[in-house]
Amino acid sequence: MSLRTLISRSLGLDAFTDQASLEFNSESAVSADFIAARRKFLFGGSLLAAIVAAGERKARAGDPPSAEKWLVDRLTMGVTLAELAQAQTLGYSDYLEYQLAFDQIVEDPALLARLANLTTLTMTADQLVPIPPGQVQNELTEATILRSVFSRQQLFQRTVEFWTDHFNIDINNGIDRSLKLIDDRDVIRAHALGTFAALIDASAHSPAMLYYLDNYTNTVGNPNENYARELMELHTMGVDGGYTQQDVQEVARCFTGWALYNQNSGANSWHFRFNNAQHDNGAKTVLGNVINAGGINDGLAVLDILVNHPSTAHFIATKLCRWFYAEDPPATLIDSVATTYSGTGGDIKAMIRTIFDSVDPAAAPLKFKRPYHLYMSALRATGATVNTINGLRQNLLAAGQLPFAWSPPDGYPDRLDAWSGLLLPRWNFGASMVMTNGVAGVVFSPTNFFTGATTIDQLMDRIDDALFGGFMDSDDKLKIRTFLNVNPAQDQRRREAVGLAIAAPSYQWY
Amino acid sequence: MTWINRGCAEYQELTRRQFLRGSGGVVAAAATLPAWLPRVALAQDYCSTRDVIVSVFLRGAADGLSLCVPHAEDAYYANRPTLAVPRPDSGDPNSCTDLDGFFGLPPSMTALLDAYQAGHALFVHACGSTDPSRSHFDAQRYMEVGKPADQALFTGWLGRHLASTAPQRANAILRGVGIGYGLQRTLQGAPEALPIPDLDIFGLTGNTGSRDERSATIQEMYALVNDPLRTNALITQQTIDLLNTIDFANYQPAPGAAYPNNSTGYAFKTTAALIKADVGVEAVAIDVQGWDTHNAQGTISGTMSTLMNTLSACLASFHTDMFSGNGRNVTVVVMTEFGRRLLENGSIGTDHGHGGAMIVLGNNIAGGRVLRNWPGLQPDQLFEGRDLQVTIDFRDILAEIVALRLGNPNLAGVFPDYSPTFRGVTVNCGRGDMNCDGALNNFDIDPFVLAISDPAAHQAAYPECNVNAADVNRDGAVNNFDIDPFVECLSNGGCPD
Repeated sequence: MSLRTLISRSLGLDAFTDQASLEFNSESAVSADFIAARRKFLFGGSLLAAIVAAGERKARAGDPPSAEKWLVDRLTMGVTLAELAQAQTLGYSDYLEYQLAFDQIVEDPALLARLANLTTLTMTADQLVPIPPGQVQNELTEATILRSVFSRQQLFQRTVEFWTDHFNIDINNGIDRSLKLIDDRDVIRAHALGTFAALIDASAHSPAMLYYLDNYTNTVGNPNENYARELMELHTMGVDGGYTQQDVQEVARCFTGWALYNQNSGANSWHFRFNNAQHDNGAKTVLGNVINAGGINDGLAVLDILVNHPSTAHFIATKLCRWFYAEDPPATLIDSVATTYSGTGGDIKAMIRTIFDSVDPAAAPLKFKRPYHLYMSALRATGATVNTINGLRQNLLAAGQLPFAWSPPDGYPDRLDAWSGLLLPRWNFGASMVMTNGVAGVVFSPTNFFTGATTIDQLMDRIDDALFGGFMDSDDKLKIRTFLNVNPAQDQRRREAVGLAIAAPSYQWY
Repeated sequence: MTWINRGCAEYQELTRRQFLRGSGGVVAAAATLPAWLPRVALAQDYCSTRDVIVSVFLRGAADGLSLCVPHAEDAYYANRPTLAVPRPDSGDPNSCTDLDGFFGLPPSMTALLDAYQAGHALFVHACGSTDPSRSHFDAQRYMEVGKPADQALFTGWLGRHLASTAPQRANAILRGVGIGYGLQRTLQGAPEALPIPDLDIFGLTGNTGSRDERSATIQEMYALVNDPLRTNALITQQTIDLLNTIDFANYQPAPGAAYPNNSTGYAFKTTAALIKADVGVEAVAIDVQGWDTHNAQGTISGTMSTLMNTLSACLASFHTDMFSGNGRNVTVVVMTEFGRRLLENGSIGTDHGHGGAMIVLGNNIAGGRVLRNWPGLQPDQLFEGRDLQVTIDFRDILAEIVALRLGNPNLAGVFPDYSPTFRGVTVNCGRGDMNCDGALNNFDIDPFVLAISDPAAHQAAYPECNVNAADVNRDGAVNNFDIDPFVECLSNGGCPD
């Protein structure tokens, strides 16, 4: 008798049917939810479709938001009743011009007074040397948050955020713990709404950048390619911009000797230094251009080539369109903005103007707020007081977006799939910030927030107006109304209703 | 409904309910188990065809020539005058420890020697992505999607693996975890996957009294919107309950496992606790940042040395913690986007290169060796005249793991447009050895019959054994289709690898 027959007899089988199958994962035992989810992923049009659909939203039950509401969403850290009123008074184009002319906007005196207390903000690099880096970091972070929440120059703050990512520098890295503050003031804020040429020139000279991307160690005969590569890949042309490894090496040679003074150099400490003795004065070829300007002019010549390269126009235009318009901006819009770039010498205001003059607000896709944006918008909309940033720091850290803390040089991502997985800190920020001492240093006053509202409808309309400019998703509004209606007069429940509105799906988008 | 599903599903539900009520019954049942573990883990201390995978990404391009030193290469020493790790016989206190006469481990990696000598740690050298990009971000992306130079592919290889296999545990709430704030590209596309920065802190804050009510309101709102928020919100809510059943803070690793006291050590330690809790998580992604050592690389002492100390201590601790005794069915794979330039730069660092190294760890990994098709380090042997060549595609390593350790035959979906070459990364996993005596022979016939006809009885009779070892044809199911292959293995004195 064969082994096979022995076994089948032991099993009491006449034939090798699968009737006694012991499959581990038959569908019969899995939940309907799982089956539905699995069908969706496996059969219902593929993963890609699910991801593409992610950028969409269910139709709003009410009217589509006004063009002004959309513009305020795009230009600011979040709508407030005052900002929306301002935009509606001025109208779409004038509000855009108002925000573009940021230096004409008189700042909130209370904000200026707060900033004046942060003494490191106005120091030079050498003056920072003896200051504990932790203090410098704290003051820069506090200033950034206060400006985000309370500045009237909202477009400027949003543009600063954009360039901060574009020219990312990790604040937890060596002397950049101190020097990022200089970069923030003298590079990013000095040129955020200026020209790209001035911005890249300032960045290339920035001690914080020279340190972060190691160019301070880039010397003749011993080139270090780090800055040269990221200058082309991340700052100007983009990874597909058309440069080669050879170009990277040649650009590195052009930037040899670009360094900074060490901390024992008196008034020069931590300032930019061009060290001609460490510069490679041989001829180089970058993107087909022979460079033999000599000395510091070699690097400046590279910047000139890069600024005027069509790949740079396209790359900067793409990123600006993504930031201000949509995650996947249409090619026609990108081309328009790139044309503006090329025609204006990289005028950043002109590019932003092109974006908002070209698009149809009613047809604009929504964008997903990054955690920093969400938290700032919630603070603005609720009129919360920010006494210290201790709790905000904790909450931003928990969501993965503490300012200046992204370690690789590409900056915090501006993509839905980078942020859509971690919802819990968003819910928790809403739940915490409305509570007394829920977020240390932040005070939310339900009394102020709900002033004049008493009925359930009035209370819900206040939430709708303050957080959503009157365009709250009707489903979200109904669910929160049900929650609040259990006891609309109770302070605790009112707080929690606001917290739920911050956690609501529709508040995650703008 | 089949036996194993019925058992698992009901058991899980029962355990959950009882746990949430603090039932005395569960306390009694758990009396012999570690205090931190809430449930009777269906201990997978056996050789399954469905390992849990931990995918570790060294971000920033780790220098493979330091992770695993080619000490027999004169060119290595010529090109790395200050960064080279001295030869094993150099007498230098910082010399590398020889592995096979050609490669060695630097002092900061020697924590892995035990796992290597146990045959559980495999190094793969001169491997990586064949794409020539030296961009961190493109190269990481290509590696994570599992297809070089494809800008249109957004899902990750591990995400597609999970999407194309049924859950290892029926009704699993959470199958993939990315330790971090954003889900790693590697796991994008996975059903039931979340990024979680800290497994021990995952709950809804605010007033406790209203928590359930607020939670319900959030759930109702998110149930009405599109993905990914709808699904992510649902998984998030369920995961809060799930993770609350595991007391990570009091987790006691196996004796001898000492995870480093830093964020990476914490990630590995909590991952070990999560896997031991056996709640259905099949894939964990862990990132280790900071390998972009352009400046002051510090192979012996400094940046990279610190990173390697952490990495090797994490892997060694994980090995001790997870693989002691019969060992759990876990495979760890470590990768990086590319290697670094052979020639050190003027900053005592290294610029972006090409070929790199991988590390694979597991009980069923053919370790204790350095797998390579070594291309050499002479100028004419280098990629573009500068860098170590890639002679083993990273997908060969991953695909073999996916097919033979994760039990997924759908390699075309996981690694599109690629025909991998299996390179003997995995070992035959005791298939057919149904009495677990280490041999496949006639004594396995009765227990094999038992496993096919009554798995519960087999489990009871051979508690240390893996009933899945009866899945001789590796189709992910123990059934009658395994009989012929079992007979064939018996006749041949063993199953083919």
